[in-house]
Amino acid sequence: MTTEARSLEVGRATSELSLLVDIGSAWTKAAVVGRALGRWRIAAHAAQPSAWDEAELIATLAARLAGRADPRVSARIASLLADAPRIAVHTPARPGRIALAAVSSELSGQAARRAAEAAGWVVVEAVTVDDGRPVVDRLSALQSAEVDAWLIAGGFDEEGGEGALEVAGLVAAARGGGKSPVVWAGSAGLTERVGAFFEPGVLRAVANPRPSADRENLLPLRRYLDGLIERLVERGAARQLAPIGFGRAVAELARASHLRVVGVDLGARYATWASADENGMAESRVVALGGLASPTLTAPGGPARIARGLPLAIDELAVADALQNLRARPGSIPQTDEELAVVHGAARDLLADLAANGPQPQGVDLLIGSGRTIGSAPLPAQAMQLLLDGIRPIGIVQVAIDPAGALGPLGALRDDEIVEGLGTLRDDLLTPLGAAVVCRGGRPGHLSMRVTVHRVGWRSLGPIEVRPGQLEVVPLPRGQVAELEIELDPAVSLSAPRRARRLRASVTGGAVGVVLDARDAPLLLPRRSDDRRTVLSAWRDTFLREVRPPAEGAA
Amino acid sequence: MIEASLHRIHLPRGTVVSVQVGAEIRPDEVIGMRRGAMAPVRVPVTRPLRRQPAEIEELLVVRPGERVEAEQPLALVEGAGVVLAPVAGLVLAASGRDGTLLLAPLAAEETVIGHVRGRVRAVEEGSLVIEVPAARLHGVGGSGEAVHGELVVGVPNPGDELRAGAIDAGATGKILVGGSRASAETLTRARAMGVAGIVLGGVLHKELRDFEAIQRRRREAGGMTGAFGILLVEGFGKVGIDPQLFSWFRAHAGRVASLFGADGLLYVYDAAPLPSRRALAKVGDRVIAHRRPFQGRGGVLVGLMEDLHAAQSGIPTRMALVRFEDGRLAPVPLANIEATVVAEGR
Repeated sequence: MTTEARSLEVGRATSELSLLVDIGSAWTKAAVVGRALGRWRIAAHAAQPSAWDEAELIATLAARLAGRADPRVSARIASLLADAPRIAVHTPARPGRIALAAVSSELSGQAARRAAEAAGWVVVEAVTVDDGRPVVDRLSALQSAEVDAWLIAGGFDEEGGEGALEVAGLVAAARGGGKSPVVWAGSAGLTERVGAFFEPGVLRAVANPRPSADRENLLPLRRYLDGLIERLVERGAARQLAPIGFGRAVAELARASHLRVVGVDLGARYATWASADENGMAESRVVALGGLASPTLTAPGGPARIARGLPLAIDELAVADALQNLRARPGSIPQTDEELAVVHGAARDLLADLAANGPQPQGVDLLIGSGRTIGSAPLPAQAMQLLLDGIRPIGIVQVAIDPAGALGPLGALRDDEIVEGLGTLRDDLLTPLGAAVVCRGGRPGHLSMRVTVHRVGWRSLGPIEVRPGQLEVVPLPRGQVAELEIELDPAVSLSAPRRARRLRASVTGGAVGVVLDARDAPLLLPRRSDDRRTVLSAWRDTFLREVRPPAEGAA
Repeated sequence: MIEASLHRIHLPRGTVVSVQVGAEIRPDEVIGMRRGAMAPVRVPVTRPLRRQPAEIEELLVVRPGERVEAEQPLALVEGAGVVLAPVAGLVLAASGRDGTLLLAPLAAEETVIGHVRGRVRAVEEGSLVIEVPAARLHGVGGSGEAVHGELVVGVPNPGDELRAGAIDAGATGKILVGGSRASAETLTRARAMGVAGIVLGGVLHKELRDFEAIQRRRREAGGMTGAFGILLVEGFGKVGIDPQLFSWFRAHAGRVASLFGADGLLYVYDAAPLPSRRALAKVGDRVIAHRRPFQGRGGVLVGLMEDLHAAQSGIPTRMALVRFEDGRLAPVPLANIEATVVAEGR
């Protein structure tokens, strides 16, 4: 970890401090890292709207440290914080804008769009041969689009296809020269012919994301677009971008802990999904308009979808206005219960979307939630519910949050420093919420799972019976380890490599405990609104009620 | 004295800019000319040249994406003939199936208007940068096109709803300042009456969507004339315009303004500085609240609570005590209010 060397004054106490700062589009999060009893700790953290000035942030952090800092430095704490070295990341100033032209909206168009969005691009205009618009409207739409780059996709590698040449011609006509680069991600056999439509050096061919009807290969295109956005929109210093830093920190965390880790960072504008295996091999997806100000939430059908998933009776019109206000003023906070319910409904929807548009989170050991909505939920149980409802991580998974927003800044360090930073702050970086056993499937009238919780040094709990559509929360405090003995119904899956009916797993507790979740994936909800709200309220109440241990079993 | 701000005008591709750097432009001035494309036609290529359709690419002397003039050769075979472009247009594609070339004829030349007054600072690829000496109001949202017109205040009070009945022929070509809300019916009538734009404190999401859907259907059916823009100043729902800002609008009725709906921007020319907003309010500041249950209400910040306190939603945050204009004293998250500051000298 980088710290500033300070000159020592005789008789004057010195301090070793640094700040981890994540400047988001709506909120700025800062954590003070200081030395206490010889160890580096996160001594305080704070968040404020990014529109507020830095002096206010320093004053807030100083106030949080007051009374805890050494009396010899407490009078100078604000100036020490202001002068402290800082490791900062920020949300990209603006997203990259790309126009997409593809043959089919379902195949080539969908694959190319997902690759572009996962690399942080915003698809500002998309035309496909099957979009139902006359050719002249497609041409006009592309001509009006304000873009940094163009993406053309279509045609299977074995077949070629005239449709792909048509959309490439449309882009060439709409683009009309200029400097904006063109990416060809279509049939490999057409590359030379498409290249002839553009000036030399303009077109870059990348492997087809949909090489055949039954195969997708998004990675090469995504990686190319990752690099392109860095070159065109955020030149240099990519490590200082919050989504990049977050992904690097998650990868390092996975490598250092030998766990399979998924991290989600839900911000106002950006949503980042980072997954990494035990070796630190990481994949991240950065969705530029995937945050809480996402236009998809207010697009037709969005407010109704969110209203349907709320435990409170809030009509669709009020939900729509609340979502628009969230978008219009992302630096404000939900003041009423209804507004909080809408924000959490929106967060669940965005997380579900993020999870659905990538590899399914199966076999994850640790799930980390970050971003203000998750990391600063009023109660840990609400954060746990957001993550489980949104992502549905099938299996046995530890769940934690990043309340200080420190993962992004730590990921901005050099590779060797990230290891040191994560190791140094390991006790403070994440707040463990506990563990969850999330299963898929189930038969009405049968138990989904029967779980006995064996706690070290305490009496065992259970067996706890969980039926389809039910969830149970079992208390297990932070740091306490328990052995779960799980008996599954034959119709239920935990995504284990083999469909074992009885298994044991070791879990660690947290602020919430152990959640036994048999609500299927995706969540199944009744059609009738009253019934649906009853079910949703029951789930919410299960998470929120003070957790009481079930009947204790044999020791 | 108002400081000039820079405004970027996005130009559709193919626009030929007709103004130079340093030129002063008016809102109604033509800044460029452009020829859009019309429904494409198929030009037979291989048949007149007595070749197989699959040979089309070998015969072409133009490539997709190219702009061609009328009578320009499209394809030729030495000694066998030539195929000329029937009209000026954009070459879109060549079909190996039927041996034709897809050509989008260019429409008649149309003018591009900037809708803004100022001096041209730069001409860039796809845009013009204009230095605009005007009061600049950035709203929280908007819809529609760029327009300009004279400012007219359409409601007596900032909290009043703009009713359809209040819009008459006198508002044609004007930018109308409404109040806390306008229904889809009111917006549709305003457009039909030739109103250039509307400034509102709030609007219901559904009303705005309904209005946009009506406009889309009308556009698809054809016959829609004139541009129309909407600027939203405070938020979504029924939200009045801040009384200070409303007074400023009243004082500037009759001035020319430019409204950029999609960008949520309004410029008012020859105007005094706008009452400004400061994100972090201090004790004694006049403030405006942005979230329910006080959205759009003004008051005075009378105190800041120490430490963090939970809002009604349970979120721990810094709370401010606000004396609202109706006399009520209420705790409000500090993040949910802004200070409103009247410009000096007013």
